[in-house]
Amino acid sequence: MSARLRILGIETSCDETAASVVLREEDGRGEILGDVVLSQLEEHSVYGGVVPEIAARAHVEALDTLIEEALLRAGVTLSQVDAIAATSGPGLIGGLLVGLMTGKAMARASGKPLYAVNHLEGHALTARLTDGLAFPYLMLLVSGGHTQLILVKDIGVYERWGTTIDDALGEAFDKTAKLLGLPYPGGPAVERAAKSGNPDRFSFPRPLVGEARLDFSFSGLKTAVRQAAQSIAPVTEQDIADICASFQKAISRTLKDRIGRGLVRFKEQFAGSVEHPALVVAGGVAANQVLRATLQELCDKNGFRFIAPPLQLCTDNAAMIAWAGAERMAAGLPADDLDVAPRSRWPLDADAKALIGFGKRGAKA
Amino acid sequence: MIVLAIDTAGTGCFAGVYDAGEDRLLASAGADIGRGHAEQLMAFIDQALADSDRALADVDRIAVTIGPGSFTGIRVGVAAARGFALALGVPAVGVSVLAALAASACQVRPEQAVLAAMDAKRDELYCQVFEADGTPRTDAQIVELADAQIRFAGFDGIVCGSATRHLIAKPTPGVSQADACDIGIVARLGAAADPAQGKPSPLYLRGPDVKSQAGFAVARA
Repeated sequence: MSARLRILGIETSCDETAASVVLREEDGRGEILGDVVLSQLEEHSVYGGVVPEIAARAHVEALDTLIEEALLRAGVTLSQVDAIAATSGPGLIGGLLVGLMTGKAMARASGKPLYAVNHLEGHALTARLTDGLAFPYLMLLVSGGHTQLILVKDIGVYERWGTTIDDALGEAFDKTAKLLGLPYPGGPAVERAAKSGNPDRFSFPRPLVGEARLDFSFSGLKTAVRQAAQSIAPVTEQDIADICASFQKAISRTLKDRIGRGLVRFKEQFAGSVEHPALVVAGGVAANQVLRATLQELCDKNGFRFIAPPLQLCTDNAAMIAWAGAERMAAGLPADDLDVAPRSRWPLDADAKALIGFGKRGAKA
Repeated sequence: MIVLAIDTAGTGCFAGVYDAGEDRLLASAGADIGRGHAEQLMAFIDQALADSDRALADVDRIAVTIGPGSFTGIRVGVAAARGFALALGVPAVGVSVLAALAASACQVRPEQAVLAAMDAKRDELYCQVFEADGTPRTDAQIVELADAQIRFAGFDGIVCGSATRHLIAKPTPGVSQADACDIGIVARLGAAADPAQGKPSPLYLRGPDVKSQAGFAVARA
């Protein structure tokens, strides 16, 4: 199937309630017709992180209105939509249930197919919507919930090359901010504080640097930050700035090593067959300027194009979910039955192994 | 008016198709499934529609239980109901589980006031008092068990729901002590509800159970 497709997307996997209508042209070009995101930042800020039950409560109150608004902005009715795509994992189960049930009911009522989309696939395919990127390419997803390096080979064909064995990168930022009494979300707060700090005052660990496997680890860094802060408490503004700057430096050096190895591996694997290799970044941490500079430098050095979609498409949104649904439908992949279950754990790469600590339930993402 | 009723607030997962004009439940489907409401609800709705020989296009209103009950279960039903309402262009209304339990009890003893009391665990209960005609006498609330035992010691009506045993020694014969809703009652209450009161919204009666993280941070100079 390669007709012109209009897809309604629904995203509720974490703390953004979002709905969007995306158009996919026959030639594969994409256009966002309507896009609405309601952030729950305020509701969670006093807790220094996302509280699942609060998130689920907010999703169910807001979602239908947002869908109406997205359709309105797109200037289409539900009957003019070709399919409904809803995030069904991985993520917080309470939120996933709200989005998926709304999607199921709307699909059943309108007779449209339902695509239960993997949230990570949404991030993975965004660069094809924004930049028309051809397969294969590498994607680095760095958010509050995920830290993954993924080889994107084709629609539905992904290899997880690296993932975090403990905390996500965004989580490390949030926890550092919380420890230092900075506001939530931690990413922007830590970055702001770091601007006036000395990145060489503290020598924080750079976990897994030097290891051949491409995984990440940030919990040791978090502990080191806490110990450093406690050892000099009470902390001054300058101490906070120095800790933040040193923390960012440690992360930058870790990523340089980890991602650098990934780029080299990509070049080896696709030597001769991929003329213009590309690294795409996604996730809220992609907003961090130090991280961006590090990735840009790495890409320049290795002959990669560095693609950073606009920030509102890097963070959680429904346009990417609609787009993933459109790509699946255009590729002739089957829609889902209405008994499909949400999956709090759902690795994009079916072969992904559960890492230490994730136990019998298998890989988280 | 054809009402599609949905109940996923407890361990049961039920759908019913009700004709308000005839005051008749045309068909219902479902089971006490414990878990898996999100997976099974659509099939039960399809079955109820098929058995009533109606299509979704015939439905004029969606009625859904809004709790109290399982937070997750409530949201499964409410999200589905609001999705149906949006896609079909019909109103959705919420039906309180306490009101549905009381209405069932009223069928047994029509002349008496009803106290619907559900075990909320943690030594608390969800409760509400209704007049014999179904009008609420109190708001739905969560009350500590010991307080409820004092407050309702001299209650002059019948008691229903899973917390009945905590409140009275001898339950009224024929009155249910379970928290399962009758889907026909849910549909009838939904048909009588006023859609102008707004979209169905969960009746949790209990906060999200989170602690502020103040105190986590290191001391500042």
